[in-house]
Amino acid sequence: MELKARTVVEGFLSGLHRSPLRGFSVEFAEYRQYLPGDDLTAIDWRVYARSDRHYVKKFEEETNLECHVLLDVSASMGYRGAAPLTKLEYASVLAGALAYLMHRQRDATGLIAFDDRITFRLPAGARGGHLHAVLLALERLRAGRTSNVAQPLRQLAEALVKRSLVVLISDLLDEPGAIIKGLRHLKARGSDVVVFQVLDPDELTFPFQGAANFRDVETGEAVLAESAAIRPAYLRELAGLTGRFDRELRGAGIDYLQLDTSKPLDLALLAYLASRQRRK
Amino acid sequence: MSFLFPAFLLGAAAIALPIVLHVLRRNEAPDVPFTAVKLLNRSPLDGRRRRRMQDWILLAARVAALLLLAAAFARPYLQSAGNPSLRVVAVDRSYSMGAPGTFERTLAMAREAVDAAARGERVAIVAFDDRAELIAPPGGRAEAQAALAGLQPGFGDTRYAPAVRMGVELAGGADARLILVTDMQRSGWAEEEPPIVPDTLRIEVREVAGPAGNLAVTHVRRTAGGAGVGIRNSGAHPGAGTARLLLDGVAVASTPFNVPAGERVDVQIAHKMPERGAAVVQIDDEEGYPADNSRHLVLDPPARGRILVAGADAAEPAFYVTRALTAGEVVEGVEIRGIPAAALGRDRPEEMSESRAVVLLSTRNLDRRGQERLAEFVRAGGGLLVAAGSEVDPGVLGTAMGWPEFSAVEEAAGASRLAATDLRHPIFRAFGPLAANLGQVRFTHTWRVRAAEWQVMARFTDGAPALLERQEGAGRVVLFASDLERRWNDFPLHPSFVPFTVEAVRYIAIPAGAKREYLVADAPPDTGGAPGVHFLEGTGDRVAVNVDTRESSPAGMSGDEFMAMLRPDGGAQPPPAHVQAEQTEARQGFWRYGLLLMLGALVAESFVGRR
Repeated sequence: MELKARTVVEGFLSGLHRSPLRGFSVEFAEYRQYLPGDDLTAIDWRVYARSDRHYVKKFEEETNLECHVLLDVSASMGYRGAAPLTKLEYASVLAGALAYLMHRQRDATGLIAFDDRITFRLPAGARGGHLHAVLLALERLRAGRTSNVAQPLRQLAEALVKRSLVVLISDLLDEPGAIIKGLRHLKARGSDVVVFQVLDPDELTFPFQGAANFRDVETGEAVLAESAAIRPAYLRELAGLTGRFDRELRGAGIDYLQLDTSKPLDLALLAYLASRQRRK
Repeated sequence: MSFLFPAFLLGAAAIALPIVLHVLRRNEAPDVPFTAVKLLNRSPLDGRRRRRMQDWILLAARVAALLLLAAAFARPYLQSAGNPSLRVVAVDRSYSMGAPGTFERTLAMAREAVDAAARGERVAIVAFDDRAELIAPPGGRAEAQAALAGLQPGFGDTRYAPAVRMGVELAGGADARLILVTDMQRSGWAEEEPPIVPDTLRIEVREVAGPAGNLAVTHVRRTAGGAGVGIRNSGAHPGAGTARLLLDGVAVASTPFNVPAGERVDVQIAHKMPERGAAVVQIDDEEGYPADNSRHLVLDPPARGRILVAGADAAEPAFYVTRALTAGEVVEGVEIRGIPAAALGRDRPEEMSESRAVVLLSTRNLDRRGQERLAEFVRAGGGLLVAAGSEVDPGVLGTAMGWPEFSAVEEAAGASRLAATDLRHPIFRAFGPLAANLGQVRFTHTWRVRAAEWQVMARFTDGAPALLERQEGAGRVVLFASDLERRWNDFPLHPSFVPFTVEAVRYIAIPAGAKREYLVADAPPDTGGAPGVHFLEGTGDRVAVNVDTRESSPAGMSGDEFMAMLRPDGGAQPPPAHVQAEQTEARQGFWRYGLLLMLGALVAESFVGRR
């Protein structure tokens, strides 16, 4: 898991997040001669007065940001269609990558796994051995029961005492109203919220053929249908669901990204980080 | 509902096949684990339900198609119930029904007959005089009553046979009842071929009482001193009255008359008749038939002309034919001239062009000019009667008229007789039932003519055409395939020879429209079939149309006499039950509808299956 997470993260480490506590707890690292393009506010005028040369101060970034990764481990996350990984495996690699990234930025990272309740919780920590604990926990996660995303969101909102970065990784195949309400609540309490919706290509394209008895992996409910006949309606429903998430979450200032488990994770992350960088 | 071949219904067991397949196929759908089943359930177009519904429609269509196929092969039919399913009411509308009060009684009886129809029994109305007309096709009683409301007596004479034949045709072999409402005139069976009536058609006659007597004007002729009028009294008491002469609608003279019961008298109405115009003679007869109380006459001079009879003998050409035509008076005022055939090319061209017809009994010495004149004459509208014989060379005739097939005409020897095949043809119409007398003539030699371009009116008993007709340009050609001069047969010695020859020559010499006096039944269409004087369209000729005086006699007959005139269908035993069933099934033909419905079910199956 550590290897996977490192592989994903290496190469684009220039900041997952802005520090929500700007100017707090920064340490001076060294001086560097001014180069065209450097921020003028970074020029140390005292040194200039002493040496008649332009030097800029360089700081070592260090925050006490807490990042909480909420990982959906419901039964639906164990689904694997045409993709090489189950959604849970894909989501675990993503969570590991994020934890590694946070660790590299010396932020505290916590992990919460849930299905219809919280099944595993690792408090946020930034020590050297903490990353290993997170990755080990991710390695041991297994898909569980039915999902209820809103419940852990509520619990987390109650537990958070200071503003944090909350990353939700789920397929979001649950009641969208309750999920959006929970995320808004977190956002309202000052946390920065990022949502990754992980979907299998089968869920995105519904490639099934002929008559089939579709059985829900969580509830066991079965629907007998002619695939070709029901495909357009299903895709419309899915587009409506994801469109609602995209519209309402972005409207609340929450980042929302849909991930296809058949696509490389690093490319997806890169695209997301690039867009986030542009908004900085 | 019965079936002709019920064993085929076992084929209906094949419906088990689609049912089993349906059940098996339903279980074929594999279990597919999926995550977003909630979204499937939430889909507004529920494919699962539609699929289920489509499955049932498909199953129903397939089962229906198999059932219909089995039923069609089993040939279903409906056995008729005890009551006939069709009632045909035939109403006499001849002019004898125009006597005061007669037609009102006729309609009342017809309405009773319609109202007596059983529930589910269809009713048809036929109006008849000398022909039968279907005025209400088989249907409900209301339509039949409506058709009766518009019925009026006409000017035709009574003929029962057309009405009976139409009843037979409408019944189509099924059980039916034909009710004739008529005054039962005996003349209605005169000269009629008795119709064949199947056992399944029950015939009833409802007699309408007619008048006790009738006075009728039977003929009017121009005479030296005025008009000669024939008046017949068909009643049991003497009749008297005044005959009036009207010229162009104005009464100009009259004369009293007395007619003993059952007698006919000729009276003269003295008046200087004009050269041209129209005359009508009227009498008064308040009790009898109004239509025969007047008779019309055209005073215009008859068209002149001649008929050339071209024979072989220069001294006495065409002895028998010439005598027959002279005795029979083909057309009033027309001269009959016998000439040798060679004269057709020698005489002045006007000799032929002023003639109305040529009877060709020989082609001896008929030179090229004569042949050309003959062909031109016919194509210009002249009539030609050709009688075969040793004096007629078919090759010459074929060359003259442009009939190449005549080079192949052969002479056949052997005894045979003549049989008219088209008794309605004008040549045979005058014979009536006596046309059978033509069969007494014995023929020893005949021509064998290929009748491809000819219409055959009579054949020899060996099947070869005997009397043929064709149109040649504007003219009409009649070919008699044997001799008329007693060389190949003994025809001239038979009483039928004169009327046959006269009618044949009259037929070719008088094209339609050239006749000046018609009976209602034969009147040209532009006269409307109503008595009176009419101008023909096209020629502008004035013609008189009169009623047929055979209808003037109210002599009736009993119901038994009427029924005796009918010919039961051979008196044969009723066919066996299976034959009756086959006939009924063939008539109903339900299997066709079954196959059509099956095709419809398959089309529906295909349509639903594609969705």
